[in-house]
Amino acid sequence: MEMSRIVITGNSAICAAGLDPTAIVDTLTAGRSMIGPIAGWDTEKWPTSLAAEVSDYNGGKLLGDRKLLKLVRRSDVFGIYAGTQAIEQAGLPAYTETLDEATAAEYADQTGCYVGSGGGAFEVSYDFFPLMAESGDSLATFGKELSNTVNPMWLLRSLPNNVLCHVSIRNQLKGPNGCITNHTTSGILSVIESAWALREGDAQRVVAIAHDAPIEPQTLLYLDQVGLVSKDVLRPFDSRHDGCVLGEGAAALMLETEASAKQRGASILGEYLGGGDASEGEGIFCIRADGDGLSRAIELALADAGLQASEVGMIVAHGNGTEQSDASETAALLRVFGKDMPPVTANKWSIGHLFASSGLVDIVIGLEAARRGVVPGVANLEQLAASCAGLNITKQNRETRSDVVLVLCRGFAGTNAAVLLRAAR
Amino acid sequence: MTARRRVAITGIGLVTPAGLDVASTWARVKAAKGCGGPITLFDASGFSTRIAAEVKGFDSLPPIDDRKLLKYASRAHRFALAAADQAITDAGIRPTQQDAARWGCVVGAGMMTIAHAEIAAIQKAAAPDGEFQANGILEEPVANDVVAFSRSLSTAGISLLLRRFGIRGYASSVHTACASGGQAVGTALRLIRRGVADRVLAGGFDSMISPVGLSGFCLLSAVSPDNDNPERASRPFDLTRNGFLLGEGAGFLVLEEWNSAVQRGATIYAELAGDGNSLSSYRITDSHPSGDGPIQAMRRAIADAGAEQSDIDYLNAHGTSTPMNDRSECAAVNVVFEGRAKEVGVSSTKSVMGHLIAAAGAVEAGICALAIRDGLMPPNANLQQLDPDCDVNIVRDVPRAGRIGMALSNSLGFGGSNSCLAFRNPEETAALIAAGR
Repeated sequence: MEMSRIVITGNSAICAAGLDPTAIVDTLTAGRSMIGPIAGWDTEKWPTSLAAEVSDYNGGKLLGDRKLLKLVRRSDVFGIYAGTQAIEQAGLPAYTETLDEATAAEYADQTGCYVGSGGGAFEVSYDFFPLMAESGDSLATFGKELSNTVNPMWLLRSLPNNVLCHVSIRNQLKGPNGCITNHTTSGILSVIESAWALREGDAQRVVAIAHDAPIEPQTLLYLDQVGLVSKDVLRPFDSRHDGCVLGEGAAALMLETEASAKQRGASILGEYLGGGDASEGEGIFCIRADGDGLSRAIELALADAGLQASEVGMIVAHGNGTEQSDASETAALLRVFGKDMPPVTANKWSIGHLFASSGLVDIVIGLEAARRGVVPGVANLEQLAASCAGLNITKQNRETRSDVVLVLCRGFAGTNAAVLLRAAR
Repeated sequence: MTARRRVAITGIGLVTPAGLDVASTWARVKAAKGCGGPITLFDASGFSTRIAAEVKGFDSLPPIDDRKLLKYASRAHRFALAAADQAITDAGIRPTQQDAARWGCVVGAGMMTIAHAEIAAIQKAAAPDGEFQANGILEEPVANDVVAFSRSLSTAGISLLLRRFGIRGYASSVHTACASGGQAVGTALRLIRRGVADRVLAGGFDSMISPVGLSGFCLLSAVSPDNDNPERASRPFDLTRNGFLLGEGAGFLVLEEWNSAVQRGATIYAELAGDGNSLSSYRITDSHPSGDGPIQAMRRAIADAGAEQSDIDYLNAHGTSTPMNDRSECAAVNVVFEGRAKEVGVSSTKSVMGHLIAAAGAVEAGICALAIRDGLMPPNANLQQLDPDCDVNIVRDVPRAGRIGMALSNSLGFGGSNSCLAFRNPEETAALIAAGR
């Protein structure tokens, strides 16, 4: 298959550490953790009271459209915001305005959108609580009173593919598309699918978006029951690592063929080189100790990119701070890179675990950091866990070894994905 | 440039309101017998719509025979496990230690993962007066049950399938509302073409026949209110149609790289030949009256299959039986097939089994493969008075016999995602390959 270069012309993110990639990477390189007390509910009696929330949340302002707020949820707001930012950074709206109607229609058909979607799994049904309180155990009353109590647009507000819908309407995207709901690997899969749509010639431009807002009481309680939540903060690969902390937010990348970017005179921020995905399939909460799935995902990404392991300049690890994941991730990296491991970093210690959007947020951060030639340190790393011995990770910021970035992502159900990018400097 | 890898459909599994396996579902689809009836899964007596097409008499234990696994499965997941098991058995091949990493799995997963009893338990404990108080769930058993948590996750379904069949390759769940199943099967086709996988278990599963699920559609007046005539509630293309009939179930396919399927002597139903995908970018629920959106999806599927519109003999329409969808879809058909729309037989599987939402596209892909195998276009049930705005050649009441060279299947979703899949008769594929194409 002929492979044309896939370039990145838009790069956006929103999370606890800021509203754009610059602010977020500044936060990380300054060694600041954004994990703090949960503002969403009173957590005094809760097993943990910490998360990395987007502070001063103002949905209407982020959307730039108050009316739309009635049709979407918090997670969607983040996604629509990130998608819009990346599309604008790439200069798409300004360019399409200059096109005549027929050319604009053709341009729209050649512009696609893939979204990794999560968010609000439980709170979606909480909208029915007033109705359920009113109807007691009687479903007959529930049915009769339904339209008097529940927002008629409830289903539309709850669709997992809302961001895909609204971003495409707003920007007139009509090309290949998908909405991936594969929990944590959703975001990184949205990038892999976007790149393939370009490689296969089905689109000339694709915006990849991922969003999630998992800081819900019920989710937090469950994660604690499964033993995945830290008692305080998230310390990836550290001897004191005891679990993850939730975060929230979104990210987006504008990917396109080189010809499409040149046509608009768009600035090139980097290049997509390859991706890989592999599963272990041993159960919803199971992870193999030998890092089998993750190491295969990395090897597939390297092969897809036509790169040797030695060419990788920095690694953004999943680093979720749970003992099992950190140890098996180290095993996977040792399996692929051995003693010649490039500098490794991880971001969740500062911004928390963003589930469906974590992989794409890590891509955006990795790209921005590599453009600066910096591997952000993990500021709360004191002593590497014995099970993570050999991992090339430090507390301090370091220089990248090359302009190639490897980003890793793992999720429930034993899913693993890896993406390789080249940063433009 | 080497020739593009082709993809064979070698296994089908169906658990639908029309039947619990392929044979019974296909028989009822051919008989054009509607599956709508009063809802029995819960007391729907107060709802404006009290009918649905339920999967009846289903017991997941005999086919799956793994109580521990089933504990982690919701109703829709059980449909998925059973349908996938049928497809794998039908294909006569399953992942081994040696090739598990070359097997992928792509599913269209339903959006509603939490059983009503669990929602009700949370409400009683944490929102007795309707307003949610987080501390109310701290001691509540459901909110502390990790098995309930695992069933609620968006990857719960794919996790069960990966484990059950030992699949170790590319795994993805997608959800674009009613287009989900079609997009999942289309993604699977692409995985094999790309060389990312050699075989993929692809399908969709859903069940929204629950108080909250039905509520969503009642609030939008999207479902037919014909409570007194449930068997005729779904009547795509009829002038009197007034909404869709909610269904449930699962459909799965085993897809294989063509040459390896031929080499192992597999029975090939059809070539999965093309995937077309587009966005309407119009409104969330409305389709553009001109058919813009579906037009591009159909054209892309045909082009992706290396075919011309004149090669298409049969279209399995999205055909929901809502006034707007059917009109807009027929407009698209007339644009895509230019002057020869009358030569293309059209029917909607939803006329028989209702709308299986995230499973619909995958089930209908299976129906297309069966139609090609048997040289039989399945009929569109319940059409009495054709809507003049649906000016297409509907296969009415009885199956239409005749060789099908190529077929299309449309799945058009809320949110504006449109999927179209193209299928080719395996004899034609063999001829193309012999001709060096």
